[in-house]
Amino acid sequence: MPTPVELPKLGNTVEECLIAKWLKKPGERVTAGETVVEIETDKAVQEIASPVAGTVLATFFPEGELVPVFTNLFVVGDPGEEVETFRPNAGAAVASGSTAAPVAASAERVPVAAVMAATATASGPISPRARRFANEHDFHPASVQGSGPGGRVLEDDLRQLYLSTPRVSSVAQKQMLESELVAGEGSGIGGMVLSTDLVARTAAEKLPRMRERIAQRMRESLTSTAQYTLNTSANAGGLLTLRARIKASKGVADANINDMVMFCTAQALLESPELNVEFLDGKLVKHAEVHLGMAVDTPRGLMVPVIRDAHRLSLSALATRAKELSTQAVEGTISLDDLSGATFTVTNLGGLGIESFTPILNPPQVAILGVDAIQLKPVRRDGRVEFIDAIGFSLTLDHQIVDGAPGARFLITLREKIENVEALCAI
Amino acid sequence: MRDLIVIGAGPGGYEAAAHAARMGKKVTLIEKQHLGGTCLNVGCIPAKTFLRSSKLFHECSQAAAYGIRLAAPAFDMPAVVERKKRIVATLTKGVGSMLRQAGVEVITGTAKLIGRNTVLVGDQRLEASNILLATGSRPAVPPVPGLDSASVLDSNRIFDITSIPKNIAIIGGGIIGLEFACFFNEIGSKVEVFEMLPKIATGTDEEIANRLLRILEKKGIQFHLAARVLEISGNTLQYAAADGAKTSFTAECILNATGRAPNVNGLGLEEVGVDFTPKGVRTDDYGKTNVPGIWTCGDVTGRRMLAHAATREGIVAVNNMFGKKDRIRYNGVSSVLYTHPEVACVGRTEEELKAAGVEFHKAIVPMAVAGRFLIENEGATGVVKVLTGARFGEILGVHAIGDGSSEFIVAAAAMVETEMCASAAGEIIFPHPTVSEALREAILAVH
Repeated sequence: MPTPVELPKLGNTVEECLIAKWLKKPGERVTAGETVVEIETDKAVQEIASPVAGTVLATFFPEGELVPVFTNLFVVGDPGEEVETFRPNAGAAVASGSTAAPVAASAERVPVAAVMAATATASGPISPRARRFANEHDFHPASVQGSGPGGRVLEDDLRQLYLSTPRVSSVAQKQMLESELVAGEGSGIGGMVLSTDLVARTAAEKLPRMRERIAQRMRESLTSTAQYTLNTSANAGGLLTLRARIKASKGVADANINDMVMFCTAQALLESPELNVEFLDGKLVKHAEVHLGMAVDTPRGLMVPVIRDAHRLSLSALATRAKELSTQAVEGTISLDDLSGATFTVTNLGGLGIESFTPILNPPQVAILGVDAIQLKPVRRDGRVEFIDAIGFSLTLDHQIVDGAPGARFLITLREKIENVEALCAI
Repeated sequence: MRDLIVIGAGPGGYEAAAHAARMGKKVTLIEKQHLGGTCLNVGCIPAKTFLRSSKLFHECSQAAAYGIRLAAPAFDMPAVVERKKRIVATLTKGVGSMLRQAGVEVITGTAKLIGRNTVLVGDQRLEASNILLATGSRPAVPPVPGLDSASVLDSNRIFDITSIPKNIAIIGGGIIGLEFACFFNEIGSKVEVFEMLPKIATGTDEEIANRLLRILEKKGIQFHLAARVLEISGNTLQYAAADGAKTSFTAECILNATGRAPNVNGLGLEEVGVDFTPKGVRTDDYGKTNVPGIWTCGDVTGRRMLAHAATREGIVAVNNMFGKKDRIRYNGVSSVLYTHPEVACVGRTEEELKAAGVEFHKAIVPMAVAGRFLIENEGATGVVKVLTGARFGEILGVHAIGDGSSEFIVAAAAMVETEMCASAAGEIIFPHPTVSEALREAILAVH
């Protein structure tokens, strides 16, 4: 019996997901629990497995398609079984995996496509004769206006386009296949595109789903809050000494400077509860617990995993948890639950040598702490100038909720914790 | 106001003028001497006419090898000159009527630029939105004492000779010198070529140039390479040989074939501010000069100095001046030495590829792989050399020596200019039996 597999609801706010990659194609066998498709939300990549063993009979969406939750993604069963009853009624724009137009599917890798103007989508139907023409002429334009019924692409449509398209020299074709170059204006005989006419790809590309989401959140952050940033620094001598001691001792969980700063931050927030709040729909939500968001740079963009109850964790427990979460974020295996619920966020660019910056709030949070690089700083002591290692902090606050003085007072508290970190977390 | 004034009616100027006129433009062509320029009057055409006669004369002496017995042939120099005049006259007339048909106004006179849109011919002021400089070149006279004396012939005056010289000294082993060397050698003169460089046909692929040198030496032409001509007085030429030894050489006839110099003087270029050096008017791949509205093509630019390059450059300039984007692609310009045997080349030489650090593959096949070559050329040898890019297999250069190559080199030019890969070129059907099949074999051999 065929088994349809739907897109689960992956979180309270997730409405739709992107089909990232099909690991199995129609006709391939799967075992129960074997991953068939990877989907992507704005937070993470998830794997969807087949609940049963069998053959993948159909996949209903091409890669890159946005699919609403609770929609059938694919069907597993025995070859020959009927699958059409499971096909989501998602409109004509959705091509099934098994009949996706080759014109669209192969457009990415075929250079000729680059010289075409985008006039229409080629994801529509294509006649068998047109498909044969495309294959015989190795001609796979990115877009072609079908003149058949329902926009069906006919052989004549392709032929017309083929004859009116500037030719690309054979060397230029080979170079395009091996590089990111695309055809520029042809300067050869009859406008032929020569290898010297190839240019870097400048075509506008749709943002990956996750980047799009980040962009949207950043815009919303800046338009919905009154952000300002306070900069200060603290003596980092204690941090460096503690770090050296941890490195030297065996059997202690490795904790880096950032872990220590997060530890101190959680403790400092207990003394500055006015920063550990959320401002949501005009209302202030105060939090007794510190759920610390930590910004992580991943190959797919910024992610912010959450260390729950950070104020209750020892330095080594916090460090261990931070490491777990950042690894999962980088690998894309992090659970959506670990990506939400932060009450305060720490972001660190100090490791990359940044001396001061302007962190962007993650609303409805009202504060975010930027950790800057450790630098030498001159200080006056006993009438002489000494140099100390100083760590910088850039605290962005929402002035709607937090004024300058309470923000500064939080930084004073934080500085005290940082400078006494050895005593604070005796190991 | 005219759309275009073209100065110079050589193959660059007259073709450009006709092209513009056919586009519906109002065009005036100014020529101070003869329609057709150097090529038609004192260059390509007369030289090839002479060479055809000398080749036939030579073939007559070889007729027995083809199974034909002839009485001893005689070379009738005045008749050859007469034939040349007839052919030149026919072609010049053809150019005239072609220009008339296209609607080009032709003015005879010496033109001088007096503004970026104004040309003076005699006392006549002509104005046009565009001016195309196509004034060509003249035989170069390097600063060698006596080289400019009346006893030394240049490539213009050599066509006036009425008898066969017993011996001839040719100064210069480039295209012009080598072609005349073949001509005089075939009609029975003792030929000595003096070349300043240690090689002949500079710019030609060296493997091909060396073969040509050996073949011509075998035919009896004597080459003095790396020889510097020091002085000429009367019919005596003094030169320093490769080893530095100074020697004198007396010849019935001395020909200066040291090359050609662009006609940049007396044109008003300085007055109008056109950027030029003695080596030519500066231009780009679109035919522009530094002065908007003033364009140039052909030998006056000092670039390729070939009639067919001039023609294409002129058409490119006209297209660009009237809004049709076009560009000259020099890799597609073939060059032919009408020596016996012919040398025909297009694209880059092996030396150029090595100097540029381009990785390449090479194939060189004997012309004898083509049956037709054996049939047509009793006792002759020749080769076709094909150079392709190592990575993609595109045809980068084709260099051939052997009669027939001048007619098939255009196929290679199309391959080079369209960046065709050897694998694709191998699919082209070559007619059988033709000499061109040697090109096919070389293409198939290269990968």
